[in-house]
Amino acid sequence: MRLSALLCAAALLLSGAAMAQAPDKSMPPQIAAGLAETTVEVKVNYSGARIVLFAASPDGEDDTVGFAVALIGPSAPYKVIHRTPSGSEERFSFVSAPSVFAIGAEPQVAESTPPEVMIEAGLNAAAAAMPNPSDLMAPDLETWRAALVDLKMEEGLYSLDETTIERLEGGLRRARIILPPNAPPGDYKVRAVAFRNGQRIGETEQKLTLVRGGMDATLFDLSKQHGFIYGLLAVLLGFIVGGIAAWVGRR
Amino acid sequence: MLIHLPIAQIAVDPLIIAAIGTGVGFLSGLFGVGGGFLLTPLLIFYGVPPAVAVSTQANQVMATSISGASSHWADGAVDVRLGSLMLAGGLAGSLIGVGVFSLLRYFGVVDATISVLYIVFLGVIGGLMAWESVGALRGGGGGDPGRRTRMRAWMRGLPLKRRFPRSGLYISIIPPLGIGFFVGLLAAVLGVGGGFILAPAMVYILGVPTRVMVGTSLFQIIFLTAFVTFLQATFNGTVDLVLALLLMVGGVIGARAGAAAGRKLKAAQLRLLLALVVLAMAGRLVYELYVEPKPPYRLEEQT
Repeated sequence: MRLSALLCAAALLLSGAAMAQAPDKSMPPQIAAGLAETTVEVKVNYSGARIVLFAASPDGEDDTVGFAVALIGPSAPYKVIHRTPSGSEERFSFVSAPSVFAIGAEPQVAESTPPEVMIEAGLNAAAAAMPNPSDLMAPDLETWRAALVDLKMEEGLYSLDETTIERLEGGLRRARIILPPNAPPGDYKVRAVAFRNGQRIGETEQKLTLVRGGMDATLFDLSKQHGFIYGLLAVLLGFIVGGIAAWVGRR
Repeated sequence: MLIHLPIAQIAVDPLIIAAIGTGVGFLSGLFGVGGGFLLTPLLIFYGVPPAVAVSTQANQVMATSISGASSHWADGAVDVRLGSLMLAGGLAGSLIGVGVFSLLRYFGVVDATISVLYIVFLGVIGGLMAWESVGALRGGGGGDPGRRTRMRAWMRGLPLKRRFPRSGLYISIIPPLGIGFFVGLLAAVLGVGGGFILAPAMVYILGVPTRVMVGTSLFQIIFLTAFVTFLQATFNGTVDLVLALLLMVGGVIGARAGAAAGRKLKAAQLRLLLALVVLAMAGRLVYELYVEPKPPYRLEEQT
C-alpha cells in the first residue's frame, strides 16, 4: 500500500515536471532569421517569385540540427466535393485552410522527426486545414484533408518538395521557396523551425506581403470597384481591336 | 516571356494565347460561328479558370466577329435586316433562357440537361449538314441547298412577309424571329454564342445563301457577345482584359485569313467542313461524358 502510494506520488511528480516543460516544448526559443525581401509586387510581368530566407542555427555548426521551412499563404474557406461511384456527391467544408503552402526540410529532419511534431510545429499542410468544430472528430477527416492537399497541389498552390535549404558557413541556412504565379495577394508567413533528434529547438516566423501593383492592380481594382466602367471598357476594347483589324483588312 | 493576368491570376505565354486566338478566329471567319464552343475548352485546358474563360471568350469572339463581318460586309454578304430580326429574337430568348437555366438549376438537373441537349443538337445538326453537303458535292453542284424545299413549304403560308434583298428572300418575319429566340434560349442555357446552331438554321430553314449566312451570323454575334461581355464584366468581374486583348490580336488576324480562305471554297465544302467541326465537338462531349474518367474529388473556394 505504501509502495503504491509512493509510486503514485512519483508519477504525479513526473507528470507535473512534464507539464511544467510543456510550454517550453510548444514555444521553443526564437532563432535569428530574415527574408531577403518582405514585399513582393504582382505586376503584369509577374510569373511567380523566389522567396529567400536566411536563418541561423541555434547550435552553430552542429550537424545533428536540421531545418524545415514553410511558406504559408492567407487562409480561405474551402469545400471539397467527392463524386461517389453511384454518381452522388458528398461535400466537406473547411472553415479555413492556407491558400498556399510550400514546405521543404533538410534530410535529417525528414528522417528523424515524427509527423505529430511537424503538426505541432505548424508544418503539416493537411493539419493546417481546419474543419467545422462539429467535424473535428469525423472519422474520414484525414481522407478529406488529403484530398484537399492533392487538389491544391494540382493547382500548383501547395508544394511539398520544391523548397530548397542550403547550409552555409557557421550553421547559417538559406532557404529558397517558390511562390507560384497564381498565389493570391495577401499576408503570408514564412516559418522556419530547427529540429534536433526529432525535437524542436528553435523557430521563427517572418511576414511576407504579396501586393498587386501597376496595371495589374489598376485593372483588378477597376473590375471589383467600378464594374460598370470595366464592362464598358471591355466592350470598347472589343470594338477598337475589331475595328482596327477591319480597317487594316480593307486597306 | 510570361504575362500575369490580373483577373485570372495566372501567368501565361502571350504567344500561345495569341496562337489559340488565331486558330479559333480562323474558324470563325471561315464558318461564321463565334468559336466560343472551341475557345472556352482550349483556355480551360491551358489553365485559365473556367469562369474567366467563359466570360473572356465572349469579348474575343466580339472583336473577331467585327473583323470577320467587315470582310463579308465589303463583299455585300451581310443581311442587316435579317440579322437585326434574329438579334431581337435572340435577346428575348436569352432573357427567357436565363430563367429556364435558373429553373433547371433549382431542380438540380442543369448539368445533365445541358450535356444531353448539347450532344443531341450537335449530333443532329452536324449529321444532317454533313449528309446534305456530301450529297450536294457528289451531285456536282456544290452550291446552296434548293430554295423551295419541303422543309420550307410551311413558311410560305405564314403572315407578315417582308423582303430581304441581300439574301434574295421574301419570307415572313416570324421564322427569323423564332430562330433567333430559340438560339438565344439555347445560348443562355448552354452558355455558348449559338452560332453553330444559327448558321445551319439560316441555310436550311430560312434558305439564306451560305455566303450571306456567314456574314449575317457574324453580324448578330457581334451584338450578342457585346451584351454578354458587358453583363459578365459588370456583374461578375470575370472578364480578363489582358487575356482578351491577347486573344483578340490573334483572333482578328485569324478571322481575316478565315474569311479569305472561305472565298476559295464551294458553299457545300464550307458546310461540310462546318459539319465536321460540329460533329467533332459532339464526339468530344460524348468522350468527356461517357468515356473519360472523372476525378473523384474537386475543390470549391467559398466566398
